[in-house]
Amino acid sequence: MLHTGGLAVTESGPGRTRSHVNGPLIVQSDKTLLLEVDHELAEACRRAIAPFAELERAPEHIHTYRVTPLGLWNARAAGHDAEQVVDALVEYSRYPVPHALLVDIAETMARYGRLTLSKHPTHGLVLTSTDRPVLEEILRSKKVQPLVGERIDADTVAVHPSERGQIKQTLLKLGWPAEDLAGYVDGEAHRIDLAEDGWSLRPYQKQAVDGFWHGGSGVVVLPCGAGKTLVGAGAMAQAKATTLILVTNTVSARQWKHELVKRTSLTEDEIGEYSGTRKEIRPVTIATYQVLTTKRKGIYPHLELFDSRDWGLIVYDEVHLLPAPVFKFTADLQARRRLGLTATLVREDGRESDVFSLIGPKRFDAPWKEIEAQGYIAPADCVEVRVNLTDAERLAYATAEAEEKYRFCATTATKRKVTEALVKKFAGQQILVIGQYIDQLDELGEHLDAPVIKGETSNAQREKLFDAFRNGEISVLVVSKVANFSIDLPEATVAIQVSGTFGSRQEEAQRLGRVLRPKADGHQAHFYSVVARDTIDQDFAAHRQRFLAEQGYAYRIVDADELLGS
Amino acid sequence: MGIGELDREAHVPEATSAGAAPRTLAEALRARGDEGLAALLRARPDLLSPVPNDLTQLATRAGTRGSVVRALERLDRFALQTAEALAVAPDPAPYPVLLALLAGDEGDPAIEAALPGAVALLREQALVWGEDDRLRLVRTARELLAPSAQHPSPTGLGPTVAEATAGMSPGRVQEIIAAAGLSATHDPVSAVAALTELFTDRARMGALLDEASPEALSVLDRLVWGPPYGEVTANPAPPVRWLRDRGLLLPVSARTMVLPREVALHLRGGRAHRAPEPVAPVVEVAREYRPQVVDSAAAGQAYTALATVEELLKSWDQGGPQVLRAGGMSVRDLKRTAAALDVTEQVAAFWLELCFGAGLLASDGEADERYAPTPAYDDWLDLPPAERWARLVAPWLTATRTAGLVGGQDAKGRTLAVLGPDLDRAAAPEVRHRVLELLATLPPGAAADPGTVFARLRWERPPRGAAQPVPPRAPQAAAGTDETTGTGTGTRPEAHGDLRSRLARWALAEAELLGLTGRGALASPARALLNLPLAEAATPTDHGGRVELSVAAGRAATLLAPLLPEAVDHVLLQADLTAVAPGPLRRPLADALAVLADVESKGGATVYRFTPGSVRRALDSGRSASDLHDFLAAHSRTPVPQPLAYLIDDVARRHGHLRVGAASAYVRCDDDTVLGEILADRRSAALGLRRLAPTVLAAQTDPASLLEGLRSMGYAPAAESAEGDVLVTRADAYRTPARTAPAPVPEGPPVPDTTLLGAAVRAIRAGDRAATAVRKEPAAPVASAGGLPRTSAAETLATVQAAAMTGTAVWIGYVNAEGAASQRVIAPVRVEGGFVTGYDHTADEVRTYPLHRITGVAELADDQV
Repeated sequence: MLHTGGLAVTESGPGRTRSHVNGPLIVQSDKTLLLEVDHELAEACRRAIAPFAELERAPEHIHTYRVTPLGLWNARAAGHDAEQVVDALVEYSRYPVPHALLVDIAETMARYGRLTLSKHPTHGLVLTSTDRPVLEEILRSKKVQPLVGERIDADTVAVHPSERGQIKQTLLKLGWPAEDLAGYVDGEAHRIDLAEDGWSLRPYQKQAVDGFWHGGSGVVVLPCGAGKTLVGAGAMAQAKATTLILVTNTVSARQWKHELVKRTSLTEDEIGEYSGTRKEIRPVTIATYQVLTTKRKGIYPHLELFDSRDWGLIVYDEVHLLPAPVFKFTADLQARRRLGLTATLVREDGRESDVFSLIGPKRFDAPWKEIEAQGYIAPADCVEVRVNLTDAERLAYATAEAEEKYRFCATTATKRKVTEALVKKFAGQQILVIGQYIDQLDELGEHLDAPVIKGETSNAQREKLFDAFRNGEISVLVVSKVANFSIDLPEATVAIQVSGTFGSRQEEAQRLGRVLRPKADGHQAHFYSVVARDTIDQDFAAHRQRFLAEQGYAYRIVDADELLGS
Repeated sequence: MGIGELDREAHVPEATSAGAAPRTLAEALRARGDEGLAALLRARPDLLSPVPNDLTQLATRAGTRGSVVRALERLDRFALQTAEALAVAPDPAPYPVLLALLAGDEGDPAIEAALPGAVALLREQALVWGEDDRLRLVRTARELLAPSAQHPSPTGLGPTVAEATAGMSPGRVQEIIAAAGLSATHDPVSAVAALTELFTDRARMGALLDEASPEALSVLDRLVWGPPYGEVTANPAPPVRWLRDRGLLLPVSARTMVLPREVALHLRGGRAHRAPEPVAPVVEVAREYRPQVVDSAAAGQAYTALATVEELLKSWDQGGPQVLRAGGMSVRDLKRTAAALDVTEQVAAFWLELCFGAGLLASDGEADERYAPTPAYDDWLDLPPAERWARLVAPWLTATRTAGLVGGQDAKGRTLAVLGPDLDRAAAPEVRHRVLELLATLPPGAAADPGTVFARLRWERPPRGAAQPVPPRAPQAAAGTDETTGTGTGTRPEAHGDLRSRLARWALAEAELLGLTGRGALASPARALLNLPLAEAATPTDHGGRVELSVAAGRAATLLAPLLPEAVDHVLLQADLTAVAPGPLRRPLADALAVLADVESKGGATVYRFTPGSVRRALDSGRSASDLHDFLAAHSRTPVPQPLAYLIDDVARRHGHLRVGAASAYVRCDDDTVLGEILADRRSAALGLRRLAPTVLAAQTDPASLLEGLRSMGYAPAAESAEGDVLVTRADAYRTPARTAPAPVPEGPPVPDTTLLGAAVRAIRAGDRAATAVRKEPAAPVASAGGLPRTSAAETLATVQAAAMTGTAVWIGYVNAEGAASQRVIAPVRVEGGFVTGYDHTADEVRTYPLHRITGVAELADDQV
């Protein structure tokens, strides 16, 4: 029934909610919000809808936000109520907002917080409900039954402390997300201070740290190059407790260590690295996802790391890449503060809900463009270079096996020529050539007379090359996808992508991130993608670039002939 | 009913002297002014078809069962309660008696105020006649409403003492008299009268009941508000015995006792109804919005409605789903439509019925019947949005088809299909109109509490289900829970009782979907729509009404137009290959863009995405790349992003690169001059040759004719096989395709096998037994010398009706269910529902004959009776 539905949407008194006749926002029936960015009220509107709507696409004129249950619950967790959400929509909407959508928003938001997890003085962890039928409904679920203990009273049921994460995950799947008010253990105290000598946290980093600390646990979303490590350091300085940091790979672990020593009162000896090569456990320990998820004889031998100390804070770097087993361990760590850091909540595997229930709701987020506008990341010029396959290559491409096709068109010889031309064009600047296929990279390295970093390159060698690149001793570096994540190349101003992991949008964002750090000399960053025309390479590129275009990085298309000719 | 008890009301009266109280309904009608008669005919239009010859006939018709039932159904709750009270009152009843029955012994100012109106209404509708001192309920109404063992009274009262003791032995009556402490009389009639007098005397009755044990009183308590009947054992308990002995309970049968009406009335404090409802429930305000908010929400929904209808019918552009053999659309197709529109099946059914009702979609009538948009749809598309909306809303208001029933089951348990038969509910337009009118009684911007709307509607037309002897509150409560659980889908067999409530609920939901209401409050365009008398809106056949409605719809459209989003003529193009139309697009632009790009998101704005596929579609439809560039440049507020221009050029570059066509044969020759010669030769024209490449000609003729033709032109062509070898022509033997040899066809049927034989013998034996069995009944009766009378059906009906009215006997020819014909002489008493009931002189009893079995009627010569 349309007219009933227990609508909690109340009409505010006259004057308070005014809808603009020509507002910047258009509410679509599929729950996307279109924001006209050139509108005078666009900024105010963006601020009003940001708490509950995820920015999905940010091309040049109209930004698309999406209202999802997770987004609405994130807003609830951040203390917003349905009325604020509805007000924001009604106030800025250009056209009347469909009533059904408002009702739906109110109902969805009302689902959060009906169930709360809290500490009971005698019964330990308990699940309490303000709405008895909801409790009855979820207790009848087969998935919930093994997770709960005895019924304490009509509104309360005991929960096995070990199932705190499990039950949050399960309840979210049932559509009744529980608010976790059970608190955290302080962990083993360890003095950590920020060493703000000659630098300080940027305002948005400070906001992110505060947002996280106030919320208890959760995720901070910042674009690549916006200084997520410092947000982590800031959180540690707040917690002043032993910290476990989970990162994607060893290079990234070293980076973290380097940064922490530089930016905090921590010394080299206080920070341990727990990776394939070293197994140190110190007050602050940095571990890689890889070592944690190593399985031997069906068990995860490195799990004890989580219990080896009384951690007060756990930091997850690149949450969107968190491997599935880590979720499982995380479920058991619900009593400890958790900070997730990421550039995007979009996971290619669609496990956003696990991030929400196990690490926590989004606590802070700032779009790329905004931080770019503040001058913290460099503006980038994105160019797609289209190369033609030669006739012989076209025939070979047409007859190639399906699984070989991409490799074939991605490694066409013309790409090498284009790359050479580009390197020549930007001679003197720090250039990264990024690719997927080792043969192609080796060949490029040979022709460009540049070192190649690939999977087999030792960590010591990698760091040596990175240092050299950083110091400007070498200006061109050819890297495989091992360099996708968390390496810090402050002076790279040009990135040339010759092949990629099919259509991964993640990868595109990360690679762009390589050139986005602010340049000392204010140079504009360039991001080139070399793509073979009329092949699946072009299709994949289109998919990847769509992501960039949606992030507001308008790209140009250039014909290879144009480049080679000039 | 005997023949002697002719309808007093209809009986042709002798001329009445002016001023005297009317003795019959006909007389009462005759005494009315013209306005009074007009009011009657307006309230009960069924009396008019056909127009009665005189007032006697009008009175007769007003007393027929069908008409009275209809009139009773249209009464509001208090008028009905008044009629019910009259039915349990003495006949005729003076006004004070009626008032006491309704207001009880204590009286009730509200009822005292409302009763004159209710009586006047009943009188106007010719359900009650007579002056205030002698109010008479029309006999048929009395029969319908008075308590009897077969159908319990809505009041929950039982028969009177006189009725209940009618079959009792005088001795038993005397025993009761004695037990009740009355002096014995020898005459049973006066004994009953004495008992009645006791029961109606509050003081003496009070004294009598003071003696009753608490158990006995609790027995009475159980029966007092009905049903008044109770089961007893052969050996009743002492309290029941005590009541029975004093006549406070009277036996109906060996096992059943009844509480006499007078006793019940005493216990009820004189009230016929537990809860008289003299005042209509008020429609309450659930929430108030600013009128602009309501209008804008409604306009938003109105716009959504238009978009939905367009989307639905556009998806059927190439032919919609199949029509089921029994009519309507299959459940699967409905599901698919619902999924496509992203709504529930109920809502999808509503949109489908709306389009159907507005004449925008229909069955194509082909052998393989499908639904498709009608030509009217194309006209509709050309209208401005507000007009389009009016064209949807006006038919909705008057439609009897009811989408809410879809998915439910009819009386035979068949699922009701959307667009299928049996969805018409005559009450629907009136309920819809009434619901909107009730909303219109609230101030602008106020949303009604739906529960109070339903309560009001139930009061205005109490559902027949409430005629059960249960407290009048109960059905409301039941309906209330029904409504909160939202079982409006009608999965259970449809009960007439709550149909109006369900119609009202659907009307509210549908009004919201159409944008007549916004946030549950009536929007201003809808108010304009309602600005016309109900009668005109409710009868679509009435020409005048239709014009009125269209005028009102036009007014509503004018009010709506400024509220709808204004059409825009531009889009914003973006580098992520999307185009955003920041509002509804002008039609030609929207159509062109829909070809060039895929719609990604709809609502106030439309988001289009350009893909290679969509661009190819545009090229296929005959646009060139430069057309597309120009089109985008012309309609974009922003520069065309380079990636989009590249996309179009990329697709256009490859579009049409490969060409496909059909040819029947080809000519190839390494020497292209020879082919040039052939083409230049005028004789080759008939071969349909076309040069595909310097060395290849394609022909439209088959290879054999082509060879023949070329040979006749003096060339020496050779035929080529599919592999390109030259075919050598040899004198091959001609063969048919593989064939089976013919099977032998023996003369006569094949010899049957034993199984078949056995079965045949059994069948023959069974038939034989059936044929030779001795029958109990004799064969067809002998027709009389004169044969059966034969008259037309209309004539038959008229004659028996006249005979029923005058009480004369007629001669009929009758064919019974076995097909046997007979002639009978009957004196018709009642003609209704296709049956004539009358005293059959031939059989010497009262019998009922179906009219369709009567072959004919003839009046009797006087001496024959």
